[in-house]
Amino acid sequence: MPAKKKSDKILRCPSCGMLVQPKDEDFPFCSDRCRKIDLGKWATGVYKISSPVLDPDVLEDLDGLGSGTRRDSDEY
Amino acid sequence: MPRWNFMATESTPLPSDPTQVPNPAQSPVNSYTGDNIKILEGLEAVRLRPAMYIGSTGEMGLHHLVYEVVDNSVDEALAGYASKIEVTIHVDNSITVTDDGRGIPVDMMPVGNGKMMPAVQVVLTKLHAGGKFDSSTYKVSGGLHGVGVSCVNALSQEFNVEIWRDGHTWEMDFSCGDPVSELREAGTSKKRGTKVHFLPDRTIFTATEYNYDTLAQRLRELAFLNKGLEITLTDERTADAKTGDSKRTEFKYAGGISEFVKHLNRGKQVLHDKPITMEALRNNVDIEIALQYNDSYSDTLFSFANNINTVDGGSHLSGFRSALTRTINAIGQQLGLFKDMKESLSGDDVREGLVAVVSVKLSQPQFEGQTKGKLNSDIAGIVQAFVNERLGAFLEQNPPIAKRIINKAIEAARAREAARKARDLTRRKGALDGGGLPGKLADCSERNPERCELYLVEGESAGGTAKQGRDRKFQAILPLKGKILNVEKARYDKMLGHEEIRAMITALGTGIGKDDFDPAKLRYGKIILMTDADVDGSHIRTLLLTFFFRHMTELIKRDNVYIAQPPLYKIKKGRFEQYIKDDREFVKVMVKRASEGTTIRHGENAQKIEGADRTRFMSTLSEYLGFVEKVNKRIRNEGLVELLARAELTHRADFSSAADEDAIPTKIAALHAQLEQSAEKFQIKPATPVRDEEHRTWSVCFTDSQAATRCIDWTLASSPEFRQMMAKYSLIKEYMEPPFLIEFAGKGGAAQETSAEDEEAEGEEAKAETKAARTSRIVRDPVEKQTARELFEYIVEQGKKDYQVQRYKGLGEMTSTQLWETTMDPEKRTLLQVKLEDIAETETIFTTLMGEDVEARRKFIEDNALDVKNLDI
Repeated sequence: MPAKKKSDKILRCPSCGMLVQPKDEDFPFCSDRCRKIDLGKWATGVYKISSPVLDPDVLEDLDGLGSGTRRDSDEY
Repeated sequence: MPRWNFMATESTPLPSDPTQVPNPAQSPVNSYTGDNIKILEGLEAVRLRPAMYIGSTGEMGLHHLVYEVVDNSVDEALAGYASKIEVTIHVDNSITVTDDGRGIPVDMMPVGNGKMMPAVQVVLTKLHAGGKFDSSTYKVSGGLHGVGVSCVNALSQEFNVEIWRDGHTWEMDFSCGDPVSELREAGTSKKRGTKVHFLPDRTIFTATEYNYDTLAQRLRELAFLNKGLEITLTDERTADAKTGDSKRTEFKYAGGISEFVKHLNRGKQVLHDKPITMEALRNNVDIEIALQYNDSYSDTLFSFANNINTVDGGSHLSGFRSALTRTINAIGQQLGLFKDMKESLSGDDVREGLVAVVSVKLSQPQFEGQTKGKLNSDIAGIVQAFVNERLGAFLEQNPPIAKRIINKAIEAARAREAARKARDLTRRKGALDGGGLPGKLADCSERNPERCELYLVEGESAGGTAKQGRDRKFQAILPLKGKILNVEKARYDKMLGHEEIRAMITALGTGIGKDDFDPAKLRYGKIILMTDADVDGSHIRTLLLTFFFRHMTELIKRDNVYIAQPPLYKIKKGRFEQYIKDDREFVKVMVKRASEGTTIRHGENAQKIEGADRTRFMSTLSEYLGFVEKVNKRIRNEGLVELLARAELTHRADFSSAADEDAIPTKIAALHAQLEQSAEKFQIKPATPVRDEEHRTWSVCFTDSQAATRCIDWTLASSPEFRQMMAKYSLIKEYMEPPFLIEFAGKGGAAQETSAEDEEAEGEEAKAETKAARTSRIVRDPVEKQTARELFEYIVEQGKKDYQVQRYKGLGEMTSTQLWETTMDPEKRTLLQVKLEDIAETETIFTTLMGEDVEARRKFIEDNALDVKNLDI
């Protein structure tokens, strides 16, 4: 259990995984470069939270949607 | 560039082409007519304007004197005659430079007007006299300002030269450039070489102290650039406390610039162990290149021409750079590493993390500028062709190294691309959209940011409802679309598209990125995230919170970010309506309602649970069952979990026998017996208790119907969910004996009981309830339930019975009035303020949700339940 608790305190740079401190200039990043990389990921739709579709009705809806939205994502 | 080795038989060694001389000391050159006095005038010019010759009269110029003398020795080494140079700083900050070269010639030579002078005196007193102008003497020569050792002489209050040559020792002394003695044969010697000692003129230099490290750095560089050459630096001003020895460093690198590169990379993580080296003589240019990549993002490039550090680069460096870019792109293409790449790698990309030294040696180098910072000789093509060939061959023969280097460059290209995309977020799109606020934003009329609120609402329809329901004076609405993509069958993705983020940043007005973000420009005092109370909503909220945490941290610190609390349920009966914010609250309300008009009895004696006790029992039971569910994730048999709760295995002592370690503890033995008894009911095969040596405790394991082995041990009992379950259990233990009997009271009784315990019930609600109870409740037969779970569920069902229960799947299901009343009206709503501490937790959730590890993600969602169970209600 103590190992798990630790993760509350230790924060890592979201881009490169380096340890960061809240007082750091680029917190929560280690550097401006890593900040930019992360911002670029937001800007290009890299961050997605994916879930399995459980409801068969939704699944059907998605089938119709699929091709249209896919093209959208390719723009980036 | 005067060199002291020149042919005594030659006549005036003055350059016929003054463009060879980078220093514009035109007057001494032009006035030189072969007259001694005029030559001395030349050195007087040096003393008059020393900065023109050696850069400055400060620290830099002072050290420069040493480099001039050392460079002459290095030239001897380059020509193959010297292998050792010793530099000594004396206590009076005078310097001695000794080499084992050929020694400056001492024979007499004509200097015009029929006069003769020892060659050494010419070298040390005449500007632009030396062997450099005869390329057969020195093919390659450095020197910095082309004025050389005669300048050092002119700027020294003492200058002594000692020459060992042809079995003799020769000496001559100068002061401020003037000879103060004749050249004399001081003795015999078997040695060969030259020793120069000088004391810089204190009346000229503002700095007088030599810096050891400054000298060491340049001497080390020279040793790197001239492999095998040994240079020592001794500082007689210092003495070691123990040995009394002076500080001394020896620079000698058999590996040359390859070691230079290693030196530059010390303490860094390198991508490949050995520097890549290339060396050859091409078109009379001696090219030497070493390079090695580290994992940093900056590049370190040193270029040298004839040992001169060309700080502004030049043709040799540009040749190297274009070849590097070309070769890495070519090899990357060959290895098929660019599949996802739209553009080829740029020079900046391939140089990220590069440490390289490019050194060329050539005769008659052309430099640009007074300080020789840039090489102009036309050798870019030669260097480029050479690097293309050699680096290409190396990378082809070492694919693992090539891949590492190229992947690093690809990463750099992606970072560059990401930075470009990031800039796009705030750049105005074009003339047409006017650069104003996003079209989707319904702004408020209030202009004082502190009074303004911005609702970030998920979904167009909810956005529409919010727009209608808001108070447009101070509430602004920005609908956000959390895209759903059918990336692969049966999965859907929540994300914030480029346009959503762009719109959000524009609406907030703060800008984004380290340089642009300014919290003072925030257009709203409160940013309120309003998302559905379901999994999708929580995902969008996680995305938004993570974005704010990472890129607008300051807004969270300034308490600008809030989460709206839309209701999850609406219950209705007649004209009575109530909104309920979450499942927990819902259960509480249902239980309360169901309890009215019913009596619960428990156990063999049918003990009655009454009044406030019953209310407390039901709400604790609800919590207890919640933890039972969590514990059940490990056991997968709820009946068994309840049995465990009754066994009350809460202390470590329950799992071990204090007196006899080998005896099965009483509670464990009892549990085992119970499991044996219920084996058939639970479809399990219990095993005999075993000792868990790791914890010095006992455990009982069993195999379930799925053939999985599960253990009841100290690890389970010490888990937070088990402890919580036991804590709740201990509160209601006295009522937990089955069977449970639910009795329905008659009209009068029900009303009486209700009034006693429901004092806090709102007036209208209570009225409706009482009325309903009177009209609809009839006396029924009691119902018996065997487990606490069954009791609980039955009671909740009873609570729902007379009500219309609506569970909101989304904000869009509410009318604009409902949304205003429940969620947006500052008088009635509750807002959760987002704190930095909470959000660090969100970051962990986010990282797990984004992680590569699908299994970890699955487990995370399962363990944290993330309201997943709400999905299918």
